[in-house]
Amino acid sequence: MTAPLETASKPSAVQHLGAIALAPVRLVMGLIDRPLRALQRMTGLSGMAIFFLAPNMLIFGIFVLLPLFINFVYSTTGGSALFLPERSYVGADQYQRLFDCSNYLDPLTCQEDAFWTAVSNTFWFVVLQVTLMIGAALVTALILNRNLAARSFWRAVFFFPVLLSPVVVGLIWRWILQRQGLLNFILYPFGVDPYTWLTDRTWSFAAAVGVSLWAHMGFYALILLAGLQAIPKDLYEAADMDGTKPARVFWRITLPLLMPNLVVVIVLALIRSVQVFDEVYILTGGGPGTSTLFITQYIYETGFVSQPRNPGLAAAASILMGLVLVVLTLVQLGLGRRGEKKGKR
Amino acid sequence: MGQITLSNVKKSFGNIDVLHGINLDINDGELVVFVGPSGCGKSTLLRAIAGLEKITSGEIAIDGKPVNDVTAADRGLAMVFQSYALYPHMSVRQNLAFGLENSKMPKAEIDERITEAARMLEIEPYLARRPGQLSGGQRQRVAIGRAIVRRPVAFLLDEPLSNLDAELRVSTRAELAALHARLSSTMIYVTHDQVEAMTLADRIVVLRAGKIEQVGTPLELYNTPANRFVAGFIGAPHMNFLEGTVSSVQSGNLVVALADGYQLAIPARETSLEQGARITLGIRPQHVTFGSGDKSIKAKIKLVEALGSETVLHTEVAGQKFLVVIPGQHDLASGMDIDLSLSSAPIHLFDKDGHRI
Repeated sequence: MTAPLETASKPSAVQHLGAIALAPVRLVMGLIDRPLRALQRMTGLSGMAIFFLAPNMLIFGIFVLLPLFINFVYSTTGGSALFLPERSYVGADQYQRLFDCSNYLDPLTCQEDAFWTAVSNTFWFVVLQVTLMIGAALVTALILNRNLAARSFWRAVFFFPVLLSPVVVGLIWRWILQRQGLLNFILYPFGVDPYTWLTDRTWSFAAAVGVSLWAHMGFYALILLAGLQAIPKDLYEAADMDGTKPARVFWRITLPLLMPNLVVVIVLALIRSVQVFDEVYILTGGGPGTSTLFITQYIYETGFVSQPRNPGLAAAASILMGLVLVVLTLVQLGLGRRGEKKGKR
Repeated sequence: MGQITLSNVKKSFGNIDVLHGINLDINDGELVVFVGPSGCGKSTLLRAIAGLEKITSGEIAIDGKPVNDVTAADRGLAMVFQSYALYPHMSVRQNLAFGLENSKMPKAEIDERITEAARMLEIEPYLARRPGQLSGGQRQRVAIGRAIVRRPVAFLLDEPLSNLDAELRVSTRAELAALHARLSSTMIYVTHDQVEAMTLADRIVVLRAGKIEQVGTPLELYNTPANRFVAGFIGAPHMNFLEGTVSSVQSGNLVVALADGYQLAIPARETSLEQGARITLGIRPQHVTFGSGDKSIKAKIKLVEALGSETVLHTEVAGQKFLVVIPGQHDLASGMDIDLSLSSAPIHLFDKDGHRI
């Protein structure tokens, strides 16, 4: 009589595991229940929201806001010492040094010629890279949006580089482009003599643009592809019934309806290309000379590598770069909000 | 202008045959409604006529000219989509003008056509608005307007009322009928709603599983359905079906035994039926009256729906469901036994394959 009763009351393995997993949760909940209730009675419901947000805000404050502030303080100090108490206050000297130029268009006339070279390089990099990026991502998205065979495979192919670490990207392309690299190996049978692509000023800049294009294009193409797929198919059928030519369909239907996604892509690409550093640093190291020296690398080298290092100057340069990024972000927010309003109408 | 001929039109998507050889003549100026349950191929057939789907075999001809290899744009047809397919980033005016601009029409004529269509559809106040700022009914008009300005050979309408609420659907349906009368151009209209089909159509094409079940005027389909499917599809509420066996055949008369052994004598035109043959009786709920006597059946009420102007009774006859619609209000309750007279009801007979006898 007792045996069947025992089996009935014996919990299954899954129930057993569940009970074990639940025990600590129960214990913790039991412990924090009373104090939390007491806290809510004191602070009210909205106070509890602040309580739960506090850990994240604290981390954000410690690792983002505080460094930002410290960075600003550094930019007003001089010397090569790393610890703030050992540094002397110099006011706006670092900024003055950065802006000490007789002709801003010619970096060699500036006191900090490397900074202005980096600014000029970054400017041209951004213009070229973003323009080509938008074009390439749009074309890729348009092609991937078609009913081509093995569509998922092609999507994966274009997205794959996005998953790679920038260091890996830089190394892969260095192996391809160096003198004994894959590119020369492929070109040699065609009668092209081995060339040092990465030590040629023009080619190394082109390589920097091309490699960062290759590394990030899949991400933007994906955003645009999502936008393309959100355009109702019957709009195209209606256009088809109306005898609309493909070019007109693209300019009058696809592009206007893709605009919200395109704005996001342009602004994100702008921000990220201003910040360009890691893959190009691995690829060219900023050279030859200063031909691929970009602002982030300038900041890094001024602050941590060059002898004597100058953390104050690096901090000032990064504040200036931060301001540019803030402006770009505000533009994005503004355009996004305008897009939202348009959508509501 | 506007005659459309379909000859043995077939369409397959991979291994799946969607249309199994459709033959149909649509006359100039006719409003033909394709009706059928979901997945019957009615929309595919419309899209094939439009040129949005390539047919697998067969021929589609417009005004005698085969158009199999003619693009959608060059067929001279205009389509109104279920979703309206209005360009959301263009104003109503731009939406109407878009197709005309493609054909490089002079601006003055475009304006003239837009003004005319806008007046006809009463959308003049909204020409500057975008589709997102219009109600469902207004969008619907714009979609029709976009078709009208093109002055097409024929209009193709794919479930144009299905996105409207019930009240608006009734009024828009009437407006569509008026519009057809005014334009007197060919229209092909796809719907799954048999009431829309009955009220709008010159002729109805009933489709099932990619085949035409019957083509005819609304009343032909209602009065002489070709088979059990059409009989059940046309008319609301749908026709009652009682299964039975022929117990005796006399000249001009058929005695049918229902499931519970109840015998019913029916005048029959044809007496090729043999004793013992299984047949189905079709009786419309509205054709039944109260009363006992010669041609009457016993029913048990399961549910009473009092609608005021009429009373709908869900009953059981010989173990089978049987709907009755009686005009007026009646003091009846579920569980009651009643006698129903079929003396004034046209009784449709279907053989065991569902064909009309």
